[in-house]
Amino acid sequence: MIKNLKINILLVLLLISTTILAACGDKNNGKIEGSHLNFGVYNYSDSLDPATNTNSSWCGVRYGVTEGLFKFTDEVVAEPNIAESYTVSEDYKTWTLHIREGIQFSNGNDLTPSAVKDSIERLYAQTDASKGGSGNSNPDGYLIYESITADDAEGTVTIVCASSTSNLPGILAYPYFAIIDASVADNEIIGTGPYKVDQINLGVSIELLSNEYYWNGEVPYDSVTILFIDDSSTKAMALQSGDIDLVENITTASDLSTLSEDEEYYVSIAPGVRTANSYLNYKGVLENEALRQAIMLALDKETMCDITVAGMYTSGISVLPSSLAYNYDQLSNPYEFNKEAAIELLDQAGIVDTDGDGWREIDGKNIELDSVTFTSRNLNEFAEAVALQLAEIGIKANVNIRDYDTALALLNAGEFDIWTCNTLTVGVGDPQDYLGNWYSVNSGNYGYYSNPEYDVLYEKLMLELDNGKRGDIITELQQILIDDAATIVYGYYNSSMISRADKVVGADIATIDYYWLTTEIKPTGR
Amino acid sequence: MIAKKVQFLIFLIFVLSIVSIAIFAPYIATHNPNEAILTEATKAPSSDNLFGTDRMGRDLFSRVIYGTRTSLYSTLILVLSVLVLGGILGIVSGYLGGFVDVIIMRFADMMVSFPGMALAIAIAGVMGPSITNAVIAITMVSWTKYARLARSLVLKIKHEDYIKAAFMSGTRTHNILLRYMLPSVLPTLIITAATDMGGMMLELAGFSFLGLGAQSTSIEWGYMLNEGRAYMQSASWLMIYPGLAIFITVVAFNLLGDSLRDLLDPQSEDQVLQKKIRKTKGESLA
Repeated sequence: MIKNLKINILLVLLLISTTILAACGDKNNGKIEGSHLNFGVYNYSDSLDPATNTNSSWCGVRYGVTEGLFKFTDEVVAEPNIAESYTVSEDYKTWTLHIREGIQFSNGNDLTPSAVKDSIERLYAQTDASKGGSGNSNPDGYLIYESITADDAEGTVTIVCASSTSNLPGILAYPYFAIIDASVADNEIIGTGPYKVDQINLGVSIELLSNEYYWNGEVPYDSVTILFIDDSSTKAMALQSGDIDLVENITTASDLSTLSEDEEYYVSIAPGVRTANSYLNYKGVLENEALRQAIMLALDKETMCDITVAGMYTSGISVLPSSLAYNYDQLSNPYEFNKEAAIELLDQAGIVDTDGDGWREIDGKNIELDSVTFTSRNLNEFAEAVALQLAEIGIKANVNIRDYDTALALLNAGEFDIWTCNTLTVGVGDPQDYLGNWYSVNSGNYGYYSNPEYDVLYEKLMLELDNGKRGDIITELQQILIDDAATIVYGYYNSSMISRADKVVGADIATIDYYWLTTEIKPTGR
Repeated sequence: MIAKKVQFLIFLIFVLSIVSIAIFAPYIATHNPNEAILTEATKAPSSDNLFGTDRMGRDLFSRVIYGTRTSLYSTLILVLSVLVLGGILGIVSGYLGGFVDVIIMRFADMMVSFPGMALAIAIAGVMGPSITNAVIAITMVSWTKYARLARSLVLKIKHEDYIKAAFMSGTRTHNILLRYMLPSVLPTLIITAATDMGGMMLELAGFSFLGLGAQSTSIEWGYMLNEGRAYMQSASWLMIYPGLAIFITVVAFNLLGDSLRDLLDPQSEDQVLQKKIRKTKGESLA
């Protein structure tokens, strides 16, 4: 009896202490109601250093910690940001940037033209292995400069490019070129964005505080917790349970649809500038033109985009999204979905099933396509839908879903027939780099595609500075890729951002996905 | 004893019905499990599609039925692999002793010191995702239990007179192993394997769920669960039916395994008896 009493007293004490501790926890986590934001994101990188790698440079800008000299609008036009204006020489080699006065880094240091110069020079030094740099970012891929000089008295930075560069504002808007305080960069990443880093819990979260020196208006939140949640369904459930107030890119169509139908959530979807496509390996069986054409005919991309991935993508025919101003309407597609035509084409080309096993052969060997992809932005669903549709015309495709690094290694080694990915097409506001993925001498020509006509036009594009003429060339390049059945294009990803309507306002996703946490995102009532 | 036999018979019928489903899958399934109608994706259960359709518009009922084949077949291969590998190594280790015994058993100790599932995941991760690799990975971490068991059983009879007699009369080592050691070890190993079937099936399904086992080209319950996970809120049938199939099958094999052990293992009967005696003594003392 006494023993039971003791146990009961112990349990009651335990309950009381648990309640007290739980209450303490709530006090710590709640912070000041209305000025703290919990933002759920996929963990692309724990680092925010623009020199570390592409993802880290993007994360700095995405979390509102760093900013660039220029910034993209929703129309993917680079507009002045830290640089308020610029002048350019006639040969597009010498660019003079006028740095906005009165901007300070989040540690209170002045952002002077010299600080801009130091930041850019640090980026190049940190990514130059020959000078001991360990960063994996690749600024050389966008800009090679001869010199960079700063005039603090005039408030200018002058960049002399190694060759004519017509799109320097776009290049400088790319997150690699985000301006950080180079004097302290070895210890911490200090930018000019509305928020500054308070604490990084590797792989778990990043705590941000408002930047008291922010130059471009009021910072809406006193503090922000960036919570890393990699699984899309978990993100959705965390939002529903109230653990987070805001989340980027829920990629599971069913979850997104559930949230869209619920008035408690505000779902912002932007027509994307990301294209989902599959590189076809020309060094394998897909060198056969009839086979490639039949594949194009056999795929019902509209159904795949509208139903299989439930509208996460807008279907399309060209490698460049229809939302961009590159004459999508002028393009024609000779391979509209037609399963019967695909079968007929294969039969005529002698690609038939001779051994009666249900699969077609080329030169007596079964066609067995190795379709490699990874689980990001519905790519595995595209790959599976392709395999099922190809099976209907007698072509066997094995879907090989790997982690991103392994898939990338297989791509670089050429060990694939079909490699499905999702790519930002206008990273610097111009698709030249992306179209280089089919330029035969480019290291990024992953599918080993080669068409002399395409190469000549692409070389012309590299030298052309007139925007109108560039547009025409880009249109022609797109049409060549379509006609050659060079790559399977599925559609254009619609980026999304979802917030709890009772807690957050202004949570709209930008067309170009460098910008997530902006000052437009505010607590309700502000 | 009769009650145990009846119980065993019931569970055996239960398991045999599952095996029959696997064998007669083409007659039970209402659709071709691989036929995808993309426009019919994630349809709720109806008279046309008893369990609804999956995200590629395939009939889920037919896929669950055909999934029985993959699960049973791969589990059987896995259990046999573990049994054969562990059994042979254990018998050899126990009989030969000395250096061979030290090498095999210390290697087994090393394998046991790692968390089994984590090591298997690491092995499968290195080899790449496929059901074959999942079977290999689980075999590599599971054989130790059988090896230790076989070794202890061999050690138990190794010094019996009839073994010594066989040795003295010049019987070759492999004949001793095959004719004397194996028959005395096999029943216990088989009982252990039977009780392990359910667990192994669950491990394989777990691997596929994690994306390390079956891939999209095969029809496997664990992989179906993985596919359905994203639709948990909007199309729960994608998880419910494959989940139920795993649950029922694992329970069936576990019950059969336990029942078989109760029936064939005299030790367990002794233990139960001893427990009863202890309990009775305890009650009388109180």
